[in-house]
Amino acid sequence: MTGSTKVTLVSLVGEIPCGAGPWPGCPLGPAKGLPHIALLTLFFLFAAIRTISAQSIPYQRPVDEAPQERSIGGGYKTPAVQKPLPRSSWLQLLDVAVLAAAMGISSWLVLKRRSRKSLVALAIGSMAYFGFYREGCVCPIGSIQNVAVALTDPRYSIPMVVTATFVLPLVMAVFFGRAFCGGVCALGAIQELVLLRPVEVPRRLDRALGLLKYVYLGLALFFALKPAAARDFVICRFDPFVDFFRRTGPPHMLLIGGAFLLAGMFIGRPYCRYLCPYGGLLAWCTRLARRGVTITPDKELDCGLCTEACPYGAIEKMRAVRRNCLYCARCYAACPRDGELARAKAQLVKLS
Amino acid sequence: MSEPFTRRDLLHKAARGTVLATLGGGAAFLVQKAHGQVVWQVDAARCLNSRLGVVGVEACRLCTTECVVALSAVRAVNEYSRCGRCNICPAYFNITSAVDERGLPSEKLCPRDAITRKPIGKADPEDPANNFYEYLIDEEKCDGCGKCVMQCKEPLGLGSIVLRIRYDRCVDCNRCAISRACPKDALIQVPVEQALRNDGVH
Repeated sequence: MTGSTKVTLVSLVGEIPCGAGPWPGCPLGPAKGLPHIALLTLFFLFAAIRTISAQSIPYQRPVDEAPQERSIGGGYKTPAVQKPLPRSSWLQLLDVAVLAAAMGISSWLVLKRRSRKSLVALAIGSMAYFGFYREGCVCPIGSIQNVAVALTDPRYSIPMVVTATFVLPLVMAVFFGRAFCGGVCALGAIQELVLLRPVEVPRRLDRALGLLKYVYLGLALFFALKPAAARDFVICRFDPFVDFFRRTGPPHMLLIGGAFLLAGMFIGRPYCRYLCPYGGLLAWCTRLARRGVTITPDKELDCGLCTEACPYGAIEKMRAVRRNCLYCARCYAACPRDGELARAKAQLVKLS
Repeated sequence: MSEPFTRRDLLHKAARGTVLATLGGGAAFLVQKAHGQVVWQVDAARCLNSRLGVVGVEACRLCTTECVVALSAVRAVNEYSRCGRCNICPAYFNITSAVDERGLPSEKLCPRDAITRKPIGKADPEDPANNFYEYLIDEEKCDGCGKCVMQCKEPLGLGSIVLRIRYDRCVDCNRCAISRACPKDALIQVPVEQALRNDGVH
């Protein structure tokens, strides 16, 4: 063993924080009105005790070099350091596969089966996977920023998984509408579940608020496309629900998230309709959709139950407005000619 | 009976084709440009807690408080091959606390009690300086507060403890919340292979 380093505790204690008392370079101690002499005495007593104890046990580092297995002897084995690896590329591919599969199932459940119950089950499953298990990352909404930066900054590149996450729901929308919003998006699912007493938003207000998402999209792009040092990803930072999935977060974001959920009990999916920038992109792609939720005219019955059932103002003059349709299948569930109600009736007829 | 193919249908088809082509082209561009994954890493040379010349001040706790996941993805790692295995480890014991009857400081430093100490071989009470102790960090428990990192470096320790990121816990934020707060810009984004090499994974 070579020479050892000696350090007394005085140097370890270091500076005593300002709050402890009057101090050169510090304002006077915490209680300015009290007799300073008493405080000073106390302080010196305190300091003296520290110094005495410090002198009594000098800290000594016994070694200058780390002893190795050989120098320790006795068959000692150095323990292994834990080295958790990043999520493997297979699992990342799994995320994309789950996303694609969930969108496929979502559109099948809504367009073919017209079953709200199964769709809610799918939404809960997606929320469990993308929300609670994956903790909200990676999501198409946030990927807008990465894609925008990667398209413009030659030194910034994104993994293929992120590209796929961004593109797949848009391609889906071009053919089948917003299947992603209905049964796949975790942010959508959490709002879908809290919607208890939908209130109709006046159409003009609804339209005006709907423009906000394009403003938000513009802002997000503005901050993301700044030079690398000043770049900011606002969509991710101000995601109102991700903190619930992670079960932790800064207080102001938890408050905002809580407010959204509270408002979401009465206003159907406020984030999706008025703020989600990806919703804006999906709405544009959906205008071209080949298929989507349709409400067909009926010879005998134009009851309008579907219009009442739609909490998102996506049925106008008894016809579905596809770009606003969030694939919740409430209209089908409420339809006396179709969906679960009709199926239940058919079963009743069979039984009797 | 099929409906006649109108000009409207044609426009629709053309628009759909354009959108799909744009998406496909953009995706192809991004894919050919893709360089693989990047991850966040703590640069020990910049981290306030492990940087030499900074001793005896309060450890920086930003890695614990700023991380977006419940238990911070940053944790302290004892590179065992560099550990001095000291009798009185300044990262295990609170060496400013009172000394107990065994001649050891009475308090531990870790607020989460994540470090365990056990003698290697037979401890000789007569010759404490030549007894070796193994200090194991339960990295699952650690929240990266950096107290032990601050203590284990020259001149008190050998600097075997550093802060690292648990990649199984890190959600890989676009802009790491800790990096926004870090006063020394010690959180850097590096390609995953390089990060693993730096962490000693071969």
